[in-house]
Amino acid sequence: MSVSTSMRRKLPVAGAVLAAVALTLTACSSGSGSVPGETSGSGSTDAATSSLFDGAPVADDTLILPDSTMAKIKERGKLIVGEALDAPLLSQQDPANPENVTGFDAALAKLLAIYILGKPNVEIVPPASETREALLANGTVDVVFNTYTITEERAKQISFAGPYFSSGLAVAVKADNTDIKGIDDLGGKTVIVGANTPAVTEVPKQQPTAKLVDFATDPQAVQALLQGRGDAYVQDYTLLASDAAANDKLKVVGQPFTKEPYGIGLKHGDDDFKEFINTWLTTIQDKGQWGQAWKTTLGTVVDSEIPTPPAIGSVPGS
Amino acid sequence: MNILSENLGLLLQALGTTVMMTVVAGIGSLILGVLVTVARVSPIPILRAAAFCYVQFFINVPLLALLLLAVFALPDAGLIMPLTPTAIIVLTVYEAAYVAEAVRSGVNTVAVGQVEAGRALGLSLGQSMRLVVIPQALRAVVQPLGNVMIALAMNTALAAVVGVVELTSRVNKVNLVYAQPIEIFTAAGLVYMAIALAIGLAAGRVERKVAIVR
Amino acid sequence: MSRSPHYAASFLYEKPGPRGRRNILIGSVISALVLAAIVGLGLWQFGSHGQLDADKWLPFTEWAIWQYLFVGLGGTLLAAAIVAVLGSLFGAVLALGRLSRLRVLRWLSTGYIEVARTVPVLLLIYLMLFGLPQLGINFPTLWKLVIPLTIANAAVFAEIVRAGILSLPAGQSEAALSLGLRGGQAMRLVVLPQALRNVTPSLVSQLVSLLKDTSLGYIVAYTELLYRGQVLSAFNHLLIQTFLVVTLIYLVFNGSLSALASRLQRPGRRRAPIAVPLPVPGASVPHTEKETHA
Repeated sequence: MSVSTSMRRKLPVAGAVLAAVALTLTACSSGSGSVPGETSGSGSTDAATSSLFDGAPVADDTLILPDSTMAKIKERGKLIVGEALDAPLLSQQDPANPENVTGFDAALAKLLAIYILGKPNVEIVPPASETREALLANGTVDVVFNTYTITEERAKQISFAGPYFSSGLAVAVKADNTDIKGIDDLGGKTVIVGANTPAVTEVPKQQPTAKLVDFATDPQAVQALLQGRGDAYVQDYTLLASDAAANDKLKVVGQPFTKEPYGIGLKHGDDDFKEFINTWLTTIQDKGQWGQAWKTTLGTVVDSEIPTPPAIGSVPGS
Repeated sequence: MNILSENLGLLLQALGTTVMMTVVAGIGSLILGVLVTVARVSPIPILRAAAFCYVQFFINVPLLALLLLAVFALPDAGLIMPLTPTAIIVLTVYEAAYVAEAVRSGVNTVAVGQVEAGRALGLSLGQSMRLVVIPQALRAVVQPLGNVMIALAMNTALAAVVGVVELTSRVNKVNLVYAQPIEIFTAAGLVYMAIALAIGLAAGRVERKVAIVR
Repeated sequence: MSRSPHYAASFLYEKPGPRGRRNILIGSVISALVLAAIVGLGLWQFGSHGQLDADKWLPFTEWAIWQYLFVGLGGTLLAAAIVAVLGSLFGAVLALGRLSRLRVLRWLSTGYIEVARTVPVLLLIYLMLFGLPQLGINFPTLWKLVIPLTIANAAVFAEIVRAGILSLPAGQSEAALSLGLRGGQAMRLVVLPQALRNVTPSLVSQLVSLLKDTSLGYIVAYTELLYRGQVLSAFNHLLIQTFLVVTLIYLVFNGSLSALASRLQRPGRRRAPIAVPLPVPGASVPHTEKETHA
């Protein structure tokens, strides 16, 4: 636990030490000791992120319009982001080193901070999925990076830049479950969903006889599934893949059955900021930071090449 | 009003859960609380100590921490029950500590002469507890117990955090659909006030009935 | 509430004779066995599910983990301190309002107290989280927790202070007035100081209660002890261990506060502080005892 941050970033051996630390911390009760998500995820993320941030683009001063949200952020010297602290591979805080929040969303948030400020200076305000709109509306956070699906409903309360990633809802079950192979098997079953996530409306649409139970956070929902409080857990595919990687008592079955474009949440009607962020997104997609961020985080558990990012503004509501 | 009528069934169901939790945990905590008090004033040192620890534990630990522990953590040790019963049990053992505190302060108000008179009549300790001390102690603490029951009704709202769909949880869900928080939560607040008022009035009635005029 | 357990018990029975001592001994043995069986059963249940394995507890020997939780405890204490200060000030004002000679003030204060005591704090927090943004009002996370807690706790503080004032013999303020003090002066110099001293134990118990209430910061994602426990448990997957450790921290901290409260309450001081009656909302009967509560 005494590995310094700088060592951790640079030396490969530090990755191994970190892996050992993660093992001690994670210690699954199965005793198998295999915690691929945490070990490979956080280890390689750390090694890769320094190079990811080293060459990251910084916006021209001309793009920082006077009196705009960007200018305000620049003056403040930090970007305030609504992002999770407990989502493995997306945005997870390391309790042994609380400054270290890693994952795909976390990396993108830092990249945006660099784009505005020249340094990855991010303050994180963790939202529950129910409070994201409120956090943006009242200006507590500048942006939300939080597996935040763009919907027309939400777009009435806030604005979305992006989409920056395309995912979909998928089904997770306990590792020993062989009956449920996807959304089609959920009729009449008890299905766990995250409160205020797209699954709340999507599951009844596809399986009207399913009984829904919702929990406020992803860790709570995972725990509820493992305890048998429901037969399946319907949630975003990437989130489930990370959960499954971190916990071998859980598996993802079937392919995503919806298309969930993730957006970057902004205050409603802040068009200058939205355009600014879209420009940034295009830039990091062209220059490769986007792909690299994906590869070192979600890419470690999803079995595929770097996906093509969705076209910006391609979704109703964005 | 539109919101209310469209969701009336679900809201009533949730209100039913809240009331049911309050009643079941209320009765349970009254019984358990009295038992803890009896242990606490018993001549057996180890029971006194155990009851003391029980009360101290629940008075000093947040209910929400206990709910999270019981609902999400204890199943890892094989202790699992459906959500609502788990929440009711946690509420019961938690409020029982407050009931015990209230009843014990009532025991202290029972005049020494009462107990001595009981002994002089040849009552055993158990008999004098059951026939002399506890009945009088309970009468003296109707109001404080009413306050504990009101706090219990308020505390059932915390079950929303661990996934029980009671009133607070349901109105929160309704709000997520309709996005009219001020109207919706204020209405829910009025319902809770009505519950508290009902408990308060009941306590007042009971107290007038059982009050000992000295 | 007001006496040590031993004191409370002592008047219920005489010094036991030989037979009594034997019965007590038998009772002690039986209850010791029953308690040991309960504890043993719990440990066995935990052990058989591998929850007592050393590797599940070893992470908590790391200083970094404790540091992480203590930052949360710091957040808990900060929020509790602010609520305590604001709540007691506001509460004192409300108490004076409720005892005021002006009917309007009396009604307003009474109305506020009755409402604030009978609405769940969670509902107030939701109202704060979702309602105020609609009105364009914005507070930092800390205040989203502190304001609802202050609203609720001020009402309880008000009732405690009022009970303290009512507990003083009328002679105190009459004597002050006859010395030529004006009403406000009598209240400030004579009545309030004594009233507050009398209700110190209740005030400390209320501190414990509001410190527990700050665990609702979990819902607004304010960095307090329980929230840090939640993030930690999501990271290490050691739910039982993490939440037990968090519970222990609360227990040690609040236990010390409670111990302080009961010390203040012990008889033998110049004048034993009184137990404070809190009326049940909606009941008008005079009453004898009090219960402050989370």
